[in-house]
Order: sequence, then structure tokens, then C-alpha cells
Amino acid sequence: MQGKKYIMGLFKDEDQVVSTLAALKESAYNFQRVHSPIPSHKIMAALELKKSRVGWFTLAGGILGLISGFALAIFCAIQWNLIVSGKPIISLIPFFIVGFEFTILFAVFGNVIGLLTQTKLPDYKGIAYYDPRCSGEHFGVLAACDPNQQEGLKDFFQQNGGEVKVFE
Amino acid sequence: MAPKETQTEKPRKSAVSWIFFILVIIGLAAFIYGIMSPHPEKAWQAYLINFLLWSAIAQGAVLFSAVMHMTKARWSGPLSALSESFAAFFPLSFVLFLLLFLGRSHIFPWLHEDLHGKEVWLNIPFLFTRDCIGLLILYAIGFAYLYNALQLRSGANKAQGAFQQMIYKGWLRNNRRLETVKKKMTVWAGLYILAYTLVLSLIGYDLVMSMDPHWISTLFGGYTFVKAFYVGLGALIILAAIIQIRKGKDSGLEPSHFHDIGKLFFAFCLLWADFFYVQLTVIWYGNIPEETHYVIERTVMIPWNTLAWTIFVICFIIPFVILLNKKVKSAPLFMVILCSAIIIGFWFEHLLLLAPVLSHDAQSLPVSVTDGLISVGFLGLMVIAVSFFLKHFPEISKTAEGGSSA
Repeated sequence: MQGKKYIMGLFKDEDQVVSTLAALKESAYNFQRVHSPIPSHKIMAALELKKSRVGWFTLAGGILGLISGFALAIFCAIQWNLIVSGKPIISLIPFFIVGFEFTILFAVFGNVIGLLTQTKLPDYKGIAYYDPRCSGEHFGVLAACDPNQQEGLKDFFQQNGGEVKVFE
Repeated sequence: MAPKETQTEKPRKSAVSWIFFILVIIGLAAFIYGIMSPHPEKAWQAYLINFLLWSAIAQGAVLFSAVMHMTKARWSGPLSALSESFAAFFPLSFVLFLLLFLGRSHIFPWLHEDLHGKEVWLNIPFLFTRDCIGLLILYAIGFAYLYNALQLRSGANKAQGAFQQMIYKGWLRNNRRLETVKKKMTVWAGLYILAYTLVLSLIGYDLVMSMDPHWISTLFGGYTFVKAFYVGLGALIILAAIIQIRKGKDSGLEPSHFHDIGKLFFAFCLLWADFFYVQLTVIWYGNIPEETHYVIERTVMIPWNTLAWTIFVICFIIPFVILLNKKVKSAPLFMVILCSAIIIGFWFEHLLLLAPVLSHDAQSLPVSVTDGLISVGFLGLMVIAVSFFLKHFPEISKTAEGGSSA
């Protein structure tokens, strides 16, 4: 990665970004990422991202929570062995409430953990190769290439209708 | 474009509608055979189950449109227009209810019981009067809502046929203003939602809970209308999926629509199970014999216990696990299978609620071929009603996009 040159194309138009992304996939340059000031379905579709794995964390958390909830309720009940109004010590019908609540709680925990690990947060260093215009009115497409291809990548972005920013 | 459309549709449609017409006749024949047999109460039991189930489907599906309008939801797209087509079953449902009067001596086991003061509420004249008025109010409000909703969706179109003329006249009376129509829709939708909860509670109490006159559960009304919305959504998904499979992209139904309504369906799967559980918990804690005998008879005693668990698995466990998946929700064909299984599950759920009282010394499940044939007849009635509506308002699935986003 040391020898690579990072170049960003800045576009004002969403559709230009989409066509650039399609062309970039065909080319030899390494596509890095897109910065967008707004959420865009078109760009999301053009990126063809893999399905997020956060859902699996949520599911695992939920299943773990259901088991933990029942386990906690049963564990507490057998510590005292108190018979209340003739009900069995381990009675699953009311314990289901604890199980249900824990399912939701742990699913939320799983979801947050999944979110943090999958997006590699917290990030103290900040984003490398970023242009503040991407928080304004520009879409930024970041690509990397070998130093000798630098001019070619610049031309590529300009041909697709964008401004170019080269990162040193 | 419209004449071409009807030309290509006609031959296929008439062949299909003949099949369902024959199904109705089969159902009717089976029912008549049933009431002539030495056990007419069996046929009336199947009739009552089917009346409750198919009316619930129609009422629940129309509720979808009303709820979508009240919440200003845009995600439903053409679905909300499609759901209105189930209103065509309302008149049939009302007539079917009136016919119940003929079987009164077979479907009300409390007729010859000592009711200990409850006879003030549970007597034939009062029961039929109040349920009749309730259903009339519900269906009248439903049609008033539909009258305005159709103006919104197709009022500006060229009117063909008597029904469309009527809608067009209403549209003119509202001075062709969308705002006026929408305001009226909001009022009727609100009233429909209110009437839906009240009338379905009443039907639940009168025709299902009162079968065991000494058992009470205050939540039974809520349980009834949540269940009705759940099956209504299931039927709506089936209708939308069939239209999507037959017409493809022309239907205006995207995978995202199926995904979204699948999520709502999933939510009501959970809510139905929740209402069941909430009832169960209270009965379990109280442990009063008058309340527990109802649950024990159905979940512990033979032959009902296996049926109870099967229903729970089909209507809750299986949909819960399957509907977690996004891809399944957006696959129309698979959803048809799943929703059909759930609706059949609810047929048996009605059987579970009614049959232990109506045929209380049963050694095995009181289900016969006649029951199946009668149910098939009701299915035929529902399909004919819905396709009648879609034939008279063929554009609802097309203009719905504009109507809902306007």
C-alpha cells in the first residue's frame, strides 16, 4: 500500500458517480470508497456491496438472550425453592416474560456490537484521504493506483466529468 | 389500451371463474348433504367456522387500506388498493350471517342450559339483532370508505359500467378535488377502524366465546380482531402474489412491496401470539377452575392437545422462523404457500375454539370430507367476490401508485 497513489474524483451529480463507478470496475485502478453528503440508493446499488453481516450478530444475541433469560429465572427460582400459590418452582409460562425481555436486550447488544465491529468503530485516527467538500455539495470517489498510472487516473476522472484531488 | 387488456384477459378469466363457480356448487351440495344427514350440527359447525374465517379475512384485508390511509403510509403502493377488493365479500358475509339463524338450534349449545342470569345477554333475538346491526354498521362504513377510496384511485378515469359510473358521479359531486375526497376518506377510515375493533370483538364474544357460556376472558375480543388482521394480511399477500406472478411487472408490485408487507405480516404474527400468551398468563396465574377448564380441555385433553400444538407451530413457530429471512418475504410464490398454510392453520384454530363444545364427546378430531368441501365452497365464494371487484375496477392495481403517493 506504501507505493500507491490515492486520487479522489469529486462529482456534483449522482448519476455521474454511478457511471464512473461502473467504468472504474472495468479499469485497472483500485476502487477504494465513495463519500456522499446524502444517502443515495443509486450509488448503493452501483457499489454492489455484500450483504451486511450485522444481522447475524443480532440473531446470535437474540438466541443467547432467550437462553440467558430462562437460565436466570430458573437459577433464581431454585436458589430459594419457594412455592408461591401452589405453582411449580420452575414454571415456564411466567419465565417466558424474562426470556422475551432478555431476547430483545441481548439482540440489541448484539446489534450494537455487530455495528461497531463491522464498521471498525471507534475510529480515533479519523478518515485518511478525505476532502471536506464531500460534506458539502460533492460526491467523492476514491481510487488508488501505482504512481506511474497517476496521470491516467486523473484523466479518467476528468473524462467522467469530475474534479480531481491528488493526495500526497 | 383498455380494450386490448380486456380482450387478452377474458378467455382465461372466464375459465378460471367457472372453476370457482363449480367449487361453490360443490360446497353448497356438501352443506345440504350435511344438514340432511343424521348429524346436521357437524355441517353447521363447518359453516360457522368458515363464516368466521372468511369474514375475518375480508374485514382484516380492508382494514389494511384504512390503516395505510390513516397513517399516511406510502410504502404499500398498489397493495392498499388491492386490499379494498376484499370488500366485495362484505355483502356475502352479511347474507351468510343471516343464514346462521336457520342453524341456531345447532350452533348455540347454551340454548337449553341454565345460564344463571346471563340469559339477559345470551338469547337468540337479542344476539341476532345486535350482531346484525353491528355487521351492518361495519360493512356500511367499509363501503363508504371504499366509495371515496375508489374516487381517489379511479375517479378521473373514463367510466365504464354501472359501478364505475357511480364512482364517477361521486367524483363529480366532490368537484374533482382530491383534497375533499381524501378528507372524507380519513373520516371513514377512522370510523372503520373503530367499528372493526368493536364489531369484531362483539362477534368474537357472541359467536365464539359464548359457546362455552360459563367461560370468560376479557381479552377475547382483542384476540379476535388481531387474529382477523393477521389472516387478512395473509390473504392480501396471496392475492398480490398471484397478480404479480400472472402479470409480472405490469402489476406495479415490486419485491420491496412484498418485503414490506411481509414485515407487517411478521409483526402481526408476533402480536397474535402475544395476545394468546397474555390471555394464557392471566388464566394460569389466577388458576380459577371456571377459566382454566377451557384451556386445559384444549391443550391437555385428547384429541385436542395435538391439534392445539400443531396450530401453534403452523401459525406461529414456522412463520416466525421463516419470516426472519428477507429473501423469503420478497419471493411471491413462497409467500403464497406460507400464507395458505397459515390460513388453513386458522381454520383449525376456529375448530379448536368451537368444536370441543359443539361436539364435546369426540374421541377423535371431528373433521370430515364434508367439512373440507364446505370450506372449498367458501373459498370459491371469496375468489368470485374478489375477481368480480377486480373485473369492475381493473385499473386499481395500476393507478394505485399515483393514488398512494399523491
